[in-house]
Amino acid sequence: MVVQTNLSSRIFFFLIALLFSLADSDSDSDLINELVSLRSSSPDSGVIRLYDDDVSKFLTSVPTPRPYSLIIFFDSVNLHSHSKLQKFRREFGLVSSTFISNNNNDGSNNGTKLFFCEIESTHSEASFHRFNVESLPHISLVSPTTENLTECDQMDGGDFAGLAESMAEFVERLTKLTVGPIQRPPFLSKTQIGIIVALIIISAPVLIKKILKGETLLHDRRIWLTGAVLVYFFSVSGTMFNIIREMPLYVKDDEDQSKFVFFIEGSEMQLGVEGYTVGFLYTVVGLLLAFVTNVLVRVKNLNEQRMSMLLSLVISFWAVRQVVYLDNWKTEYEIYPYWPSSWRH
Amino acid sequence: MAALESPQPAATTTAMRHAFGNVLSVLILVLIGVLAFSIRLFSVIKYESVIHEFDPYFNYRVTQFLSKNGIYEFWNWFDDRTWYPLGRVIGGTVYPGLTLTAGTIWWVLNSLNIPLSVETVCVFTAPVFSAFASWATYLLTKEVKGSGAGLAAAVLLAMVPSYISRSVAGSYDNEAVAIFALIFTFYLYIKTLNTGSLFYATLNALAYFYMVCSWGGYTFIINLIPMHVLLCIVTGRYSPRLYIAYAPLVVLGTLLAALVPVVGFNAVLTSEHFASFLVFIIIHVVALVYYIKGILTPKMFKVAVTLVVSIGMVVCFIVVAILVALVASSPTGGWSGRSLSLLDPTYASKYIPIIASVSEHQPPTWPSYFMDINVLAFLVPAGIIACFSPLSDSSSFVVLYIVMSVYFSGVMVRLMLVLAPAACIMSGIALSQAFDVFTGSIKYQLGGSSNSTDNAEDTNNAPKDDASAGKTDKGEEIVKERSSKKGKKKEREPADKPSVKSKAKKKALVLPLETSIVALLLLIMLGAFYVIHCVWAAAEAYSAPSIVLTSQSRDGLHVFDDFRESYAWLSHNTDVDDKVASWWDYGYQTTAMANRTVIVDNNTWNNTHIATVGTAMSSPEKAAWEIFNSLDVKYVLVVFGGLIGYPSDDINKFLWMVRIGGGVFPHIKEADYLRDGQYRIDSEATPTMLNCLMYKLSYYRFVETDGKGYDRVRRTEIGKKHFKLTHFEEVFTSHHWMVRIYKLKPARNRIRGRAKKLKSKTTSSGWSSKSEKKNPWV
Repeated sequence: MVVQTNLSSRIFFFLIALLFSLADSDSDSDLINELVSLRSSSPDSGVIRLYDDDVSKFLTSVPTPRPYSLIIFFDSVNLHSHSKLQKFRREFGLVSSTFISNNNNDGSNNGTKLFFCEIESTHSEASFHRFNVESLPHISLVSPTTENLTECDQMDGGDFAGLAESMAEFVERLTKLTVGPIQRPPFLSKTQIGIIVALIIISAPVLIKKILKGETLLHDRRIWLTGAVLVYFFSVSGTMFNIIREMPLYVKDDEDQSKFVFFIEGSEMQLGVEGYTVGFLYTVVGLLLAFVTNVLVRVKNLNEQRMSMLLSLVISFWAVRQVVYLDNWKTEYEIYPYWPSSWRH
Repeated sequence: MAALESPQPAATTTAMRHAFGNVLSVLILVLIGVLAFSIRLFSVIKYESVIHEFDPYFNYRVTQFLSKNGIYEFWNWFDDRTWYPLGRVIGGTVYPGLTLTAGTIWWVLNSLNIPLSVETVCVFTAPVFSAFASWATYLLTKEVKGSGAGLAAAVLLAMVPSYISRSVAGSYDNEAVAIFALIFTFYLYIKTLNTGSLFYATLNALAYFYMVCSWGGYTFIINLIPMHVLLCIVTGRYSPRLYIAYAPLVVLGTLLAALVPVVGFNAVLTSEHFASFLVFIIIHVVALVYYIKGILTPKMFKVAVTLVVSIGMVVCFIVVAILVALVASSPTGGWSGRSLSLLDPTYASKYIPIIASVSEHQPPTWPSYFMDINVLAFLVPAGIIACFSPLSDSSSFVVLYIVMSVYFSGVMVRLMLVLAPAACIMSGIALSQAFDVFTGSIKYQLGGSSNSTDNAEDTNNAPKDDASAGKTDKGEEIVKERSSKKGKKKEREPADKPSVKSKAKKKALVLPLETSIVALLLLIMLGAFYVIHCVWAAAEAYSAPSIVLTSQSRDGLHVFDDFRESYAWLSHNTDVDDKVASWWDYGYQTTAMANRTVIVDNNTWNNTHIATVGTAMSSPEKAAWEIFNSLDVKYVLVVFGGLIGYPSDDINKFLWMVRIGGGVFPHIKEADYLRDGQYRIDSEATPTMLNCLMYKLSYYRFVETDGKGYDRVRRTEIGKKHFKLTHFEEVFTSHHWMVRIYKLKPARNRIRGRAKKLKSKTTSSGWSSKSEKKNPWV
């Protein structure tokens, strides 16, 4: 899952100029103070938003070794529809807030040795080039000794998988600072839980009264019926398999990228679309049978009955045949009857 | 059609027809029993009368012990042959239902002077109980939708592949008797619910007790029934019959369940059981409300309801608070790992490799449904809808049953077994309704209009009068509640009454003749396909005992009997107290067939111990020797399929050994065994992989077979072909190389200068430095 982000090329005329600017130890502590204040004013878990100017100010114009490391998350608003990027950004924020809370109060100045930053593509396109970022998600660690920004340590694909914990491991491995166990915010905050409990308590008498009178949605059979059939449909489609194994709905053909593959061979695996298709075939036959035996028998018009029944029969027959065909294709089983041996020749 | 001749003998003819129908039903049921028994005999016919697979061997060994030493010895049995050096208390850690059942059968047969061996009894227990299960299905479905549906469901269950897979002859496992117990418990619950009789309620608790004795899956019952009770209460279907069906079950059932040593106080202490207690409280509150409603005027009731509701809520909150506190105090929230992975399907794969590693705990894909319940998957939705018209207490229960079990089966393929009875019941209902409608239509139109009234009566046995029955149902219910003792009588009335009323309506409820015939033929074809599939599945897919393997090739049938060959070798050539190490899959078989002590077995109760064996298998020879030596192991057994292409061998299971080992001993890292994330044993494999004990023991001298070392399972030439073993020596390799047994070489004599050198060398490796001072694995 790598998102390709193409950035247009530009010339960094100011880069060379800044490289020659000098800094002394006073400016070191100034820079740290500025970073700390930026961090404390950051609205979001202490992640500092860097712009092109800041990159030169804190990185390229400071001589190595710098007194701090920066870990930079490259973000793009345009790609927020891609849910994984946002998820990574949240996890990144978690690592940041954990690091700050674990390192700020312990007396040592470890808290000022590492800063969590992010750079957003629409506002700071130049920086993306400077770091040679070609695809997102991209997380780089600029250590104190890094001179060429294109060579800084990059978190590889394997580190993305385990999220906050693996990001923290990556940081600890390279900076020798401790992040500590990730402090995830509880699923519901205390006030939210309070409100929910209060709502339940307030609504309880009303609900109980309604239940006693028997006029809730729960008394509507159609809802139970629909629910039951839906659970059945989703289960036989192997939805749980898709969730647990995180299977995609479909994949692209290896040889021809414009083709989509919806069905794959081998009964150990299935794709999302495949499961739902067969789940639908499983379900539709039963629904048609129920339609014929429960609804159609009450229809007065003989021809209407005949036509709809024929239609249902044809669809059911086709659905069963299709499933049998797909199953034989997928599992490669050959099912054969056991006739008495005297019938064979 | 004798009824047409005169109206007078009509009554006697109907009685005759009823009697005839009953006799026919009994005959059909007997045939269904025979079918259920005989379809499971393929394994005996194709192979021989042996116990299958892994767990059944343990059950067989326990049964042998029971039949030899009696029940008291069995309860107190401490088994020192497994989990060396820990041992295992068998009496307190085993579900005794199956062994007691088979032991009793053996004892009864022997006292009748029928001298069957214990093994024969064990082999045929499962087929016998599947016949019982079909009859229980008939009873259950009959309670829900009449005997037509019952017979259909029973015949479907008799040959449903999912159930066959666990109950072929020789598959002597808990599920074999547990599925019968499950269905029978449900039947008694429904029966109590329909009749309101305390007699059945008590029987229900006893059946539940039998289920608790038999299988850990009893938690399904103790959660499903409370859910149904709650559902009934919430949808306004509370009745005294419901109370009688539920309250005795919880009280008696929990008391009885606590008698089973393996359950004990878990019956009141773990979260799996809390739902039943919560509902137990709720039903009492609701019962009180209904009682007060009955004795007070409506006005007074309104005042009282406020009072009762507030008190009830306070009680509920207190109980919930206590439960939350109790649950929070235990580390996993009081839930066992297996149950948690049902609620949160992704739980096991994240945290518990030992659960995730078992193939039957994987989520199934759609072909699994087609394989295991076949065409029933098509019929179930129709059955669900049939249960909703009309919705009664009993039909709502089967709907709940199918919904829960189909969800659970989606999480773990193993629970397909619980789904199978539900699917059979639903499909039976759907089939019987469809047959009723279609044959009714044909009969009505062929018979002509003159005898239409009479024919209509024939067809309204079960489903068609349901719509009208549903209308009268509510009115009837009030009467029912008042006289729950006469429940039996009342139950029959609604079925009779509406049929008279709605006779006039019935004429219209027919379908066109031709299409009905076509539909009927298609349904029969569907049924025929089901039979063919089931027979095929029973014969081909599920009958292999996995202890004896066969393969069909051009030059005839090959039999691979390597497992028994090697176990026999062990029992004849090693000392009776020698310890044998192998991966846990083969533990039960080794103790049962070779009678040797093993380190770990299929009862995976001690993760650390398994991880130690996993670590030894993943370590280099010397470190592995030290681990095994510290555990007193004398022989190491590995299963190797590379020569004949047997895929479930140890090399294919090896990554799980690494994972489980690495979970406890972090110096074992999965990444060291993978090249670019791929598991391989060819020349590209990592040095860690090529030097680990499992690789060496599997491929030692393998190159001598064909000169190239071509592995037929992995379909590649192996990476390291010529090597010698330093700490192990080969003592036995079976005929087809499937089982290889190695002996640990004795420790070298201590030579002064050399020992010093060795010491300084080995301190660099983490294992030996520890084992010099203190043995960490014991």
